[in-house]
This record gives sequence, C-alpha cells and structure tokens, in this order.
Amino acid sequence: MTQKWEELKKEIVAKIESANDLNSIENIRIELLGKKGLINGLMAQMKDVPKQEKKDYGMAVNSLKQLTESLIAKKTTDLKEKEMLKQLHEDKIDITLPANRGKYGTLHPLTVVQQEIEDIFIGMGYAVVEGPEVELDLYNFEKANIPPDHPSRDMQDTFYVDVHRLLRTQTTAIQMRVLEDEHDMLPIKVVCPGKVYRKDDDDATHSHQFVQVEGLVVGENITVGDLKGSLELLARSMFGSGREIRLRQSYFPFTEPSIEIDVSCHICGGSGCPTCKNTGWIEILGAGMVHPRVLEMAGINSEKYTGFAFGVGVERVAMLKYGVDDIRHFYANNIKFLDTYKRFE
Amino acid sequence: MKITYNWLKQYIDLSDISKQELADVLTKAGHEVESFEDQAYGTNLVIGHVLSCQKHPNADNLHICQVDVGTDTRQIICGAPNVAEGQKVIVALPGCKLVSGEIKPSIVRGEISNGMICSLSELNVDKKLLTEQQLAGIEVLADDAEVGNSNVLKYLGLDDTIYEISLTPNRADCLSIWALAKDIGAVLNKEVNLPNYSYKVKKSKTDLIIHSETEKAPYFIGTIINNLTIKESPKWLKNALIAVGIKAINNVVDISNYVMLETGQPLHFYDLAKIPAKEITVKMGLDEIYTALDGQQYHVLEDDLMITTENRAIGYAGIMGGEDSKIDESTKGIIIEAAHFNMVNVRNTSRRLGLFTEAATRFSKGIDPLAAQIATERSIQLLIELAEAENIEETVIFGDTGYKPTIIEASVTKINSLLGTHFEYIDMFNVFKALDFKPEKKDEDKIITYIPSYRTDIELWQDLSEEVIRILGYENIVSTLPKMPTTQAKYAENGKSRRIINAMLNGYGFNEVVTYSLVSQANIDAGILSIGTPVRISNAMGEDRRFYRTSLLPSLLDCVSYNIARDNYEYALFETANVYSDEGKERLHLSLAISEKTTYSKWQNVYGNNDFYSVKGIILNILEKLGYEKKRIFFKPLSNGKKLLHPNKAADIYLGKNLIGYMGHIHPLAKNNYAINESVIAEINLDAVFAEKPSKIKFEKIARYPAVNYDLALVVEEKVTAEQIISTIKKAGGSLLDLIEIFDVYRGKGIEKGYKSVAVSISYRSSDKTLSENDIIPIHKQVLEQLSDKLDAVLRD
Repeated sequence: MTQKWEELKKEIVAKIESANDLNSIENIRIELLGKKGLINGLMAQMKDVPKQEKKDYGMAVNSLKQLTESLIAKKTTDLKEKEMLKQLHEDKIDITLPANRGKYGTLHPLTVVQQEIEDIFIGMGYAVVEGPEVELDLYNFEKANIPPDHPSRDMQDTFYVDVHRLLRTQTTAIQMRVLEDEHDMLPIKVVCPGKVYRKDDDDATHSHQFVQVEGLVVGENITVGDLKGSLELLARSMFGSGREIRLRQSYFPFTEPSIEIDVSCHICGGSGCPTCKNTGWIEILGAGMVHPRVLEMAGINSEKYTGFAFGVGVERVAMLKYGVDDIRHFYANNIKFLDTYKRFE
Repeated sequence: MKITYNWLKQYIDLSDISKQELADVLTKAGHEVESFEDQAYGTNLVIGHVLSCQKHPNADNLHICQVDVGTDTRQIICGAPNVAEGQKVIVALPGCKLVSGEIKPSIVRGEISNGMICSLSELNVDKKLLTEQQLAGIEVLADDAEVGNSNVLKYLGLDDTIYEISLTPNRADCLSIWALAKDIGAVLNKEVNLPNYSYKVKKSKTDLIIHSETEKAPYFIGTIINNLTIKESPKWLKNALIAVGIKAINNVVDISNYVMLETGQPLHFYDLAKIPAKEITVKMGLDEIYTALDGQQYHVLEDDLMITTENRAIGYAGIMGGEDSKIDESTKGIIIEAAHFNMVNVRNTSRRLGLFTEAATRFSKGIDPLAAQIATERSIQLLIELAEAENIEETVIFGDTGYKPTIIEASVTKINSLLGTHFEYIDMFNVFKALDFKPEKKDEDKIITYIPSYRTDIELWQDLSEEVIRILGYENIVSTLPKMPTTQAKYAENGKSRRIINAMLNGYGFNEVVTYSLVSQANIDAGILSIGTPVRISNAMGEDRRFYRTSLLPSLLDCVSYNIARDNYEYALFETANVYSDEGKERLHLSLAISEKTTYSKWQNVYGNNDFYSVKGIILNILEKLGYEKKRIFFKPLSNGKKLLHPNKAADIYLGKNLIGYMGHIHPLAKNNYAINESVIAEINLDAVFAEKPSKIKFEKIARYPAVNYDLALVVEEKVTAEQIISTIKKAGGSLLDLIEIFDVYRGKGIEKGYKSVAVSISYRSSDKTLSENDIIPIHKQVLEQLSDKLDAVLRD
C-alpha cells in the first residue's frame, strides 16, 4: 500500500516539475486539485476503503493534497518570476541613446562672478548696495577727493551728459553715497557692485562698459592689516585656498595709503606662466585706507574713524578664472559661449 | 616716463643691484616698471676697418669687402649702399646673436661671407632715434675708432638699459630724475649724490623786462646770455637724451632738455636776436594764427596762455615755442625762460592741439615750485661748460612762486595704528631722513617733518604713513580681520527677487545676457515700455553709442540677430538691466526672447513649441513665485507694441491696476528687420512689479465633499474670448462653482465659419455637503441661460 502512495507522489512531483509555463501549471492544478481532479477522485474512493484502513487512507490523501498544493504554489511563483524575468529582458532599452533633455539656461559669467564676490562678503556680514549709473559728478569725483581739474580725472575718460551728470566711471560713486547716507550710523560694511563706463575703444582687453565690485569698511581702529586679511579671504575664496597676496604701493585719490594687490597665480601657483607673464603674481585689486578728506567730506571724524576700501574688476576676474581671451565675448553673448557656464565652479 | 640704469648709476651706487632688482625696487616703491629693455642688442660684435670694397660680380647691389677685425682680415658681403673702403664699421662675427637671429658663415651668390657689417637698427636700436641716413645703411664710425674693440655697445654709448615707468598722478615730481633718484635712494637706503651746479661768473646788469598779465602765469624768471656757441653736443649728452627717447639737436637745445629731465622744470630758450625789445609778456589768449617751432600753424583761443614780445606771440606757454625765435645754427645769444604756468590751462591747450610735449606733460601734472631757479642755474652752468656761454646778465624775476613749506607732525602711535604695524620710533625717523624730510624729534612719540618742495603730494600725517610703509615694505603688514560690532548682511535692494527670476528663467532654459547700455537713436526708437526721454551722452564715441537706452528689447533682439547669424537658431535669452530717463528716473527692466522651437530629443521627435501661451505661462509662474496671486495678473489686448509686437498676438501685462509690461509674438516687420526667426518676446518693468505688495499665503481647507462635473461644448462667435466665457460662467455659477477649465478649442468641420467650439469643464462643489441634483440643476440652468443671453453661446450637439 505504502508503495502505491509513494509511486503516486512521485508521479505528482514529476508532473508539476514538468510544467514550463503558467498555462500548463494551471492545467496541472485543475487535473490534480480540480473538482474532478485526481485528489478529489481519491477522496471519493474513501467509501470503498475498509473501515480499519479509512483513517490511514484519509491521512495519506490529505498529505498528498497538501504536498500538491504547496508544490503547485511554489512552481507557480517560480514560473511567474521566470516570466517576469523574460519580460524584463525583452524590455531592455539602449541606455546610451541621448537624453530627452530640457535645456537648463545659464547665468551670465559676469553675474556668476559678481554673485560669488557678493556672497563671500555677505558671509562676513557686509550689505550689498547699488547706485545709479547715470551719476552726479559730485559722487563720482568730487566727494571721492577728485576735484575738477584734478590730474587723475585724466586716468579715466568719462562719458558726460552735461556739466553735472555723467556715466559713473567707478563704483566708488556708490561708496560716496553710502558714506553720506550712513555717516552717523557707523560702522559701515558694504560691497557695491555695478556697471561702470569709460570712454575707451573696445578691443580684446578694453571695454567702454564693464562691471566693478567695490567694498568699504569704516569703523574704529580699522587698519591696513584688516584690509590685507579681508582681501586674503576674498582671494582664497575666488582662486583657491593656497593663494597668497602681495601689497604694492599705488595711488588712488580717495585712499591713503593706496595699494595695488597681487594674487599668487592660480594657474602655475607662483612659478611663472603665460597667465601671470612669468611673474608668479596677478594684479587684481586696487585698495587702500579711505582718505581722511573723503571721510571728512561725508561728515565723519577722520581722527576717530578709519576705513578701508577695495575694488575689483569683474571681467578681469572672469577672464582669469575661465581663461577668456577677449573681453568682448562677455558682451557679444554668443549662446555657445554662454552655455559654457552651465556648471558652477 | 623713461629712465636709464646708467643715468641713475651716476647718482647712486648700483654696483650690487642688478637690472632686474632695480625694476623690482621701482615697482615696489609705487613706480611701476612696465618694461625694461637693453638699448641695443648684439653679442660678439667688433669694430672693423674696411680695407677694400668691390662690387660683387654676380649682384648689382652687393659689395665684397675685406675687413680687418683686429685678429684677422676676413671677407664680408655687404648690401648697404653706403659701405666704402676706409670706413670703420661694426662687424658681427659668426656666432653673433642679434634680435633677428644668429650670424653664420655663408656663401652669397658664390662668394664667401664671414660675418656681417651692421646698421644700428640691426642692433635693435629704436628706429625713432635714428636718422634717415642711419636707417638706410650701415653705421659708419669715427675714423679714430679702435679696430678690434669688442666692447662695441659701450663704444656706441648704447650699453644702457631703459626702464619704462608708469608714474602715478601724485608722483609727478618723479618726472625729475633727481627727485626719482632721491626716492630710489630712500628705498634702497643708499646715499644719493646729485650734480653740483655752481659756477663762477660775474653777471652783468640786465635790461630784460618780464611781465605777466595773468595769474595763470604767476612766476616767471628770465636770464639773458649774450654770447654762446652752437655746436654738436658731447657724446655723453647726446647718448643720455637718445636713451630716454629725446632727439639730440644741438648743444644749447640739448641742455634745455637735459636740465628739464634732471629737475622736472621745463625751460625754454629764445634766440635773443629775435626778441630785440628784450621784453616778454605772458598773456591769456590772442586772436591770431601762430606758427609753433614744429612748423605747424595753430589758432590761438582765449584760454590759451601765450608768451609774447611786442604784442606778438612767441610761444604757447609751457607747451611749445615759436618758429621765429627758435634756436638754430645762427643763434648767438639766448633768453632762458623758467616759469610757472597754470596746469589746467596748459593741459587743456595741449590736449586741444594734440601737443603732448615733454614740457606740457610736466606742467599739466604739476612741477616743483622751487625748481625754476635751480633749473636756470644748472642750465647756465652747462651752457658755460658746453657752449662757451659768456656775457651773462642777472636773472630777472617776475612774481612769486607762492610756495609755502609744509611741516607735518607725525605720531608714531597713530601711524602704527592706521597701518596695523609695530614699527619703532627710530624706523620711522630713518624713513623720513632717507626721504630728505629733515625729521626732528618732538617727543617720544612725535616727529616733526619738513616736506621738500617737490613732494606736493604730502599734506597730512596719513600721507606720511604711506611713505613709512612704502619704504619699510608692505610685507611687514600682518593679516587681521576688522574687530567691530556685528553687522547685518543684506542682499541688494530686491536682490533676492532678482536671483529668483534668474533661477526660474534658467530653469525654463533661458540664458542670461549682458548687453551694452549705450545705444543708437534707432535702438531708442525701436524700444517699447520706454522710460522717457533718453539720457544723451555729450561726448559719445560715436552715434552708435549716443544714448543710454530706455528699453531693453532692441538690444536683446540685436543679440538674437547676432546668434542667428552664427547658426544658433534655437535661443531663449533674457537680460535684467537698468534703464534711465533724462528726467532722472531709473527703472529695472527684464527683457526676454525665445525661439518658436526648442529641441528636447531629436531621435524621439520631442520638441518644445514656444508660443504666446507658453511665455504667458512662464510670466505667470515667475510673478506667482515672486508672491503675486494669479488673480491679480491680467493679460489685456495690446495697447502699444509699436513695430516690435504682433498687434493681434501680443498683450499688455497688468499686475492689479498697473501696466507692468508687454509680451507676445514678434511683429513680422521686426522679424525681417532683425533678420531673425519666429520669436516670442517680452519686456517687463520689474520695479513696477516690486512696488506691488506680495499676496499673503493663507491656509485653505481641503475639500471634503465630492465635486459634480459637467462638460460643455459651446459654439460661439470668433470674437467671444475665453475670458468672457469664464467670467460669465463664474457670475452665473455663484459660490458653488469650484473649477472652470477650457479643455478644447475647435474650428472646422461641423462648425460654421466665423464660429468656434469651446469645450469647458465645470465642477460644482460645496464645502458643507455632498451636492444633490436638486442643488445643481437650477444653477447649471442659469449658467447655460447666461451663456446664451450674454454670448449667444449654443450648446454643440
């Protein structure tokens, strides 16, 4: 008897094993577990089994049923998985085809650099202040210690509107407005970005329009050392943490002492290359301590308060940073040029 | 300005300072060296003697020369027309390096050539300094030149190094080489020995009359020298002038130039015989045509300072003397002029005339108030020495130098606290001493300084602090950060909103551009949303850049046009920039332009179709992001698009009651004018936007009860707008109306021409309950009636 159950069991296992798709396993399920299936058939024969064997017979059929059910369930799962794998395989795409890529626009490189500088100083508690581009001679020159007929007016050829109005030649004009507006609300800590204009013929290195960012700090006990420390931070944020700066004597009418600031070359690290004309240094900032006369004109006591100011040309920084060889690229706005600035650096 | 190594070497011991070091020192001290270059270049040169010179048999223009170079005699082929037997010449031996390359033995048309006979331009001497004769041929040396001398550059006086210095405007004093030498001496901490210019001559009484009619020439000193000899200057003098780029003319003229270079005081020498009245008067303006010594005629204007005699012009004061009183071979006596002329007048006149002479440069920048006397004495000394000057009259002085000595008290503490340094009293004292400020100790902290007359830039103790750090070196400054109360960082006004606009437009694929603010009349005329009368530049570079723009779109379209011409057919560009009006208004504008098509994926055939509605969407989204609810924003029929916008495919944009801009498709004419493709453009007044208060964000309950939806297809006349349909439905639908959406607009089969079918989906919803049919039917009926009554709308079957 046991022999017979074992054979039957083998038969069922083999049958289920032979199923190779979901259809055939379903057919096998009906054949074995359906109303008219094998298991029900065995159950029906129960009535013919002698009474003393009924219990064993019943248990044997039941165990056969449970086995069948679990084998079919497992086989079904396996086959489903197999079919899924097949399906997935058929779904395979060529992931190397080009993206459906909506274009992302760019900020103009001058804006990128300007914002970068603004953000460095915002991080140090500076306020960003702007001012008019059509400016008064008063703020552009006179308050900046450049009276009429001052020889340094020759340094900057100016676009005049009339006797009093001009296109500002330097964002120093904004600083002069800040000094006047805030002379009784010291300390002052501002950066002043903006377009400036000079009567220069446009060529690879000159532009009649360009962007400056100037900074101004006025308070008690502000020193040349503070200027150096602040600009060192700027240089390192802009050109990398290894940068050094070097101060050189210079002249601006609105500062005393006046200083030119060189940054160690970010290309060669100071050993000399075409970018730094083999000097290892790149001239990048004009700066100095606010001239006492400028402070006094704004109503600030120059014996009690001191301050520093600095200015940087945004085009120059962008040209150095990105290796742009002609300043006119910034104003031609060829899309191929603009698309270069998709990334932040 | 130019200075030379050899010139400075006369005053300062430079034996331990290389030419590069000198350049570095100058730059560090604030006198930036733009370049420095050897006056002439050539290795392996020797003086040779042309023993014979014959025509080359195979070439008309070549000569075969046998040249004695001391060690041997060699054959050299020479192409110069002026080569001749017996000349002493400069020979470049094989192996000699010149700027043009290395000299090698060669065969020229079948004849051996073992070197080259040189011209000065081949030795890289500045061509401007050479005569036509020198430029045309080889340099012929004096007969006594020593054959075999291999130190040729020294023999020629061309062994100097020339530094081109860019002087800052405050240091015009260094246009005097003596003043510059003193400065360099202070930086190097070395003694400076300037020439002694005393002489022993008894001067005679003078009847020279000098007068100035204008305070613009407050000081004028004149000296008559009755006898002198005009001749060629000695070699040292000629070489000194040539080295700094001044032509040597004759001994007397050369002395005036040389002394000006030394002292910074421009001098003028008049031919005494041409001023018989012995009277000189300075006047302001004369109505005459005047011939200057460059032979050119100039018209004198009323602000020009003129030197006159007997009411006749003999010189533009401080700029250039006159043709008819200039020094020439026949000159026997001179009048020396050393004066002060107003810097502004000289600058304006020299600029107007385009005469930027060495004298004008110096007067324009300001001269040492005490130099006139010194320069006069120095020139008399040299005239005696080099021009046999005799019969010298007493110097006549008109006016006053106006010089007041500057005395400044310097506090060591104050200077240290401005610089952030810890220099000792003695360090600063020594700086002042080296600069010849004649320091005196007042107390333990204070030093009294007496500023030399030529240092007109020094007026305050802060100026002295600059001298201290300049001489002691900026490397002594230690980096610190300001110690001060905390300040609040701020973006620029509306700076944050501007960054949001930038970021959103970038997200929509727009590239930011920056264009020129100065534009032409045509650009002004094309503008829309213009701020007003343009600001006009009085001294513009040209008509292309005459005005400050009043609108941004024309520049942006120029930019599109530039890109189309470079095959960039797909574009999305924007600019934010200020516009100004002559009345003093300033506004921040935004302009944008986008091509009709944007390619997303070619192989999948996915393209963006940019039209009025997509740009309308971008503008709505930006305004919403900036804080303005959609219901405050209106697009109304275009009121004034000039010729830039398509009159029927464009709109006025309103925020509340204020017109903030224009947008829409480009006008077909403008499209042609700018030679661009189909484009949607806009210009918005951002200041008008920022002036509006952003809407507050309010929490709204999320609807709990379901909506009931109806879809309608309405046939209406073409003139009926979507907005009319929506507002009619809104009015009729009342408070239960939840959403209205247009989901189709159809024209064509089944719809009569002149009509369109507009499909609208309407949903009703209550916040208190689930709506029943009974709630909705009367309202919906009313909606349909109103659509029919007001808009003649018919339901499409």
